Amino acid sequence: MSKLSVSIVTPESTTFDRTADSVVVPLFDGEAGILAGHAPMIGRLAPGELRVAAGSEVFRFYVDGGFVQVQDNRVSVITGRSLSPDKIDVSAAQKTLDEVQIKANDKFDMVELKTRTISQARAQLRIAQRG
Amino acid sequence: MANARKLDKRRKSIRNIRKITRTMELIATARFKKAMERAAAATDYTKRITEIVSDLAAAGLEVSHPLLEGRPEPRNVVMLVLTANRGLCGGYNGNALRLAAQRRTELVDQLQLATSVDVSGKRGISGLKFRKIPVEQTFTQFDDQPKYEQVEPIANAYLEKFIAGEIDRLDVVYTRFISVSRQEAVVETLLPLGKLGDDDSRKPKEKGGGESMYEFLPSAASILEEVVPTSFKVKLFKCFLDAAVSEQIARMVAMKNATKSASDMIKSLSLTYNRARQSQITGEIMEVIGGVEALKT
Repeated sequence: MSKLSVSIVTPESTTFDRTADSVVVPLFDGEAGILAGHAPMIGRLAPGELRVAAGSEVFRFYVDGGFVQVQDNRVSVITGRSLSPDKIDVSAAQKTLDEVQIKANDKFDMVELKTRTISQARAQLRIAQRG
Repeated sequence: MANARKLDKRRKSIRNIRKITRTMELIATARFKKAMERAAAATDYTKRITEIVSDLAAAGLEVSHPLLEGRPEPRNVVMLVLTANRGLCGGYNGNALRLAAQRRTELVDQLQLATSVDVSGKRGISGLKFRKIPVEQTFTQFDDQPKYEQVEPIANAYLEKFIAGEIDRLDVVYTRFISVSRQEAVVETLLPLGKLGDDDSRKPKEKGGGESMYEFLPSAASILEEVVPTSFKVKLFKCFLDAAVSEQIARMVAMKNATKSASDMIKSLSLTYNRARQSQITGEIMEVIGGVEALKT
């Protein structure tokens, strides 16, 4: 069976690069699984969990939105930030979540920013708790 | 003669200075290598973003976005100047500041634009104060390894202001890294973006015409909406990285020169010192001989 080569690229470094059997990416509207032989695709990601299965190993990451590009069994995840679950700062995420939820929705632009921050913080917490 | 001792003291202090500059050179070299690696990693990211953009273009999508379009009559311009927190790096800070001051005069006096200046780096803050240029925002949190998390909030703030119409243009003054032996202070307009991706790798590559086979989730337009701000953020981040790399190189070169001139100075001082010591000894011998001669008679 052919394999996928998966890489996670952030502006600071390439955090992950190896071959795998399958990848589950957090698309904007829910998770999507990618196996070898997937049709070429560019998708928008939401903050959430990225799972890479290689043999019996499973790697889990938190990704901060971004894009996924699939082509010729190459999966590139382009994101602003990727963290492994044990690196997530739970207390900081909780704090951001608490702070943001108190803030008033006074401006239209702020609502979008607020929803985004909330979803980021929630995704971080969810992944950290499961890990 | 106290001269010889004085010379020796000076020689010792120069030796100490040489030790310091030599160490600083080594530190700068190590930091430069690290900064260089990070810049290379960022290039990888930009490359992927550019790939996506060219794929979007190949899909027949009209690439247009509010961030890409220039304002017909710009009024408010923000200039961001990137300098170092520390000195002892040759003309690095001076060049960037000179360019910034020159640019500001152009904008304010000739084009009559309201220009506000933001600056990063302690050297830049004090330099602009000296030139009596009012500064709006200052950042001092960037060291030799700027983090994306640090740059992102600044980028977001600019984006918000630009979209809200508070600013019409963002110019960044920084030292661009061209090669290890060449860096120059440049002004780059980041907002409006003008075009996407890297300047040099702009051409969409053709591979058997299979490019537009991509399936876009949710849609090409939605992805473009996200790509454009990301592209801006990454560009700004790249400016910070370039500035950091250039700073380390500038410091490396400056310290190398300082070490070399310290060595030269020690050499010439040693010569003078030896000569002074010799003449002192000669003088003493003459005195002793003179004394002996005087006793004989």
